[in-house]
Amino acid sequence: MKVEVEGTEKYGTDSYVELFNGILLDVGLTRMVEAVKFIIRPSDPLFLISIRTRKAAGLVMVSDIADVSGTEGGTMVTIRDETYAPTLISLLWHKYGRERIDQLTRLELFCKGISEKEISDLGLDPGEELKSKVLDAVWRLLPEGFKIRHNISSENVMTVVATEHDMKKEWIELAEKAHAEMGVG
Amino acid sequence: MYKVLMFDGGVYRVNELYELVEDLGGFVIQKTQIQVQIVVTLVVPEEDVPVIEKKTQELGGKLTDVPLAGTEIAVVAPTLGRHHMPHPVCDIAEHLRRYGAITVVMGLARGKGRQTAQISADEKATIEEYDAAVFVLGNFEDCILKEKIRLFENIEIPVTVVCGPDIKRVPSCEALVTGVCRKVERMRRAEEIAKLEETVAALGKIIEARRREIDEDPLFVHPAEVKQRIESLEAVQKSLRPAPIVLHLDGLRVKIPYEEWRDELASIDIFGYKLGDVTKISGARIGGSTLMKILTKSEVEAREARKSATAA
Repeated sequence: MKVEVEGTEKYGTDSYVELFNGILLDVGLTRMVEAVKFIIRPSDPLFLISIRTRKAAGLVMVSDIADVSGTEGGTMVTIRDETYAPTLISLLWHKYGRERIDQLTRLELFCKGISEKEISDLGLDPGEELKSKVLDAVWRLLPEGFKIRHNISSENVMTVVATEHDMKKEWIELAEKAHAEMGVG
Repeated sequence: MYKVLMFDGGVYRVNELYELVEDLGGFVIQKTQIQVQIVVTLVVPEEDVPVIEKKTQELGGKLTDVPLAGTEIAVVAPTLGRHHMPHPVCDIAEHLRRYGAITVVMGLARGKGRQTAQISADEKATIEEYDAAVFVLGNFEDCILKEKIRLFENIEIPVTVVCGPDIKRVPSCEALVTGVCRKVERMRRAEEIAKLEETVAALGKIIEARRREIDEDPLFVHPAEVKQRIESLEAVQKSLRPAPIVLHLDGLRVKIPYEEWRDELASIDIFGYKLGDVTKISGARIGGSTLMKILTKSEVEAREARKSATAA
């Protein structure tokens, strides 16, 4: 992982880099982050982080990770690859509502009134999950009191700039610049 | 001055140790027995420590110095959120306990942020109920020196600041430990444990100085003596809270409701006096507890003199 740091205090910035490494290890993203840039100026106060991730694996179809069979009144789904189970269940809940998805056992679902084809054609996007994990890591890292935030997100780069009171235009420009540079590599 | 020590040994002939402590004018603060092993925290006059050492050797036990025993220390973090609270705060609190202190961990309601970090008068008063406070702050010198010092500048008990950057001096605090920053894991590396030891040493010095200061005008009774008198109270015995009586340097915290028990506490006999005459009893800010501050010998004498002058 390429790390670039700009800051007014060496100890503080170094310890944030160490902290970020620890957080990545915690959320299991160590190999997914390609580069990161920090700009930390406590006297402004400004905290900027820009992260470039590796490309996530492509779309995974439900039929690739589960057995789908149509029965009377709906479709039975038996998940084969349990690593996708939480994502699939939350996708189904989100799309059809909890009342139509019965979780019979840990890996067995009954989808009321939904056709077999409709379920089989659903796709899970690991890229979204990766993004939410990266965002989780950033929230854990950001100083707690820096509630004024501006986010920029593109396919594989995410930049967050945070401050305590007013967000200045120049900081947003700085974030846009860092975001663009990170995208180029 | 009294010295707090911890005896670790077997139960066989341990009564001889208790008798010796009593003969020397000391007290037993706590006994924890696990089958045939026993750990006894005791207080004896400083000059009699060699006698206790000799007895410990005779009984085949081990004697260790517990510099923070008989104190209650608040470990304060800007918030209880995971950005401030975990690992260093818990590790410091736990390490202080290993040296005999009773510790509480406290997060401020509005302590987050840089300029927005605040401490309320109520929080300050709560912290002041303890013997000393440890403020665990962040990673940036600018933030600590310009803003965070407001959190502890008017606190009337000794404050130790633990923070990351190597700052030479922080105003309004008695001790400073640097090199402890935000972490995502426990402090278990050798250099981290050294920092915990440094924190204990800094607090040890503060507590020692406070003990010497108290010794200049000694308390009328030692807090451990008061503890012995009140631990037989039914409410104390029925209290389910861990450590229902906590010793302070100049008093005690009794974890029974003040409103309900103040009269009974005040009427307990101690060396021919009523406890209410030799202590100031008040309600603690943390609900369901009573604070007792023991008056000094000179205060009790002055009070007696005033009484007899009024009577005459």
